[in-house]
Amino acid sequence: MIEDEPDGALVRRVLDGDLEAFAGLVARHRDRGLRFAASMLGDAAEAEEALQDAFVRAYRSLRSCREPDRFGAWLLQILVNRCRTRAARFQRRNRQFVRDDAALERAAAPAGRSREWREEIERALARLDPLQREAFVLKHVEGLEYEEMTRLTGARVPALKMRVKRACDRLRVLLGEESGRRDR
Amino acid sequence: MTDDDPLIARVAAELRRPRSPGPGFDGRVMAAVRAVPAPLPARAWAWLREPRVLALSPLGGAAIAACLAVLAAAGVWGARRGSRDGSGAPAVAARAAAPAAPSVVTFVLVAPQASTVALAGDFDGWDGARLPMRREAAGIWTVDVPLTPGRYDYAFVVDGRRFVADPAAPRALGDDFGRPSSVVTVGSGAPGAAGGSL
Repeated sequence: MIEDEPDGALVRRVLDGDLEAFAGLVARHRDRGLRFAASMLGDAAEAEEALQDAFVRAYRSLRSCREPDRFGAWLLQILVNRCRTRAARFQRRNRQFVRDDAALERAAAPAGRSREWREEIERALARLDPLQREAFVLKHVEGLEYEEMTRLTGARVPALKMRVKRACDRLRVLLGEESGRRDR
Repeated sequence: MTDDDPLIARVAAELRRPRSPGPGFDGRVMAAVRAVPAPLPARAWAWLREPRVLALSPLGGAAIAACLAVLAAAGVWGARRGSRDGSGAPAVAARAAAPAAPSVVTFVLVAPQASTVALAGDFDGWDGARLPMRREAAGIWTVDVPLTPGRYDYAFVVDGRRFVADPAAPRALGDDFGRPSSVVTVGSGAPGAAGGSL
């Protein structure tokens, strides 16, 4: 059963020509990848495209995956870079936050107040500096240690800690503004 | 500090909610993957690079040599005939149909402090161990690699762990895997060289 096989075994099967094993890796890692990409890009369609791009690049370079048992971490590293590229393009197009009802439904959020809360968070995230947003999501949403974040982003630990702190400070201000506006 | 902040904890909890892609996502990814040439299997690559001894009887060897001689003679005869009657087109067509011949590219890195240097790139699946470089005078490291015409990303692996881009070559765009890399473009014809110093 593909579901029971560790990542390393699936990677080796793909390298031996078994493409279906790659489908197993996609099924296993897509939800986490989509969660990260959606937090970074704030748009479900862009997030799916970034994730698809990351999977294709991972497949093309699979032989350079030095630790097949940590395929998920390697994929996340690729995805971080794809999201950076797309976020920069996004900024150039000056795209605004758009309400994406289909994505909100799929995010398994209950209706009503929780949905509003989700939208507030996404608006606030979209207003963060991209590197601060990235550090915040890797630390607080993906739960990574700073050493792992260093491997993924190439930034040093003190710089990452500063980015996370500034992201948290800014989120407090932005979400305070949101709740103030709602209460008025 | 921030880890204990209830507001940040609520934000993180909301963002950690499971998300699933739209219908058909897996199928689209796999269709895109199928359009990519399959990565060369690791065992096939190892098999291709492994030197091996062929056992051949004198009679078998003579037969193979005779076949090669006949093929060579046919080639020479065909080329002469084409040039004598002025119809060069068949010879050109034959050259175009033949697979591109590899050119030997010499990669050079000046790294006097390094203990070991290896080359890694698209051409060896970024293995980092298959193409060790030779140390020559004054800390100059070199390796010759036969490459068919095309574009290759590569980097030097210094002391077995540090990836270093070639200081004398253009940097690769889309540095996806968190390591610096350079680009070499191999044309058909003369041998090439790539390299710089740390």
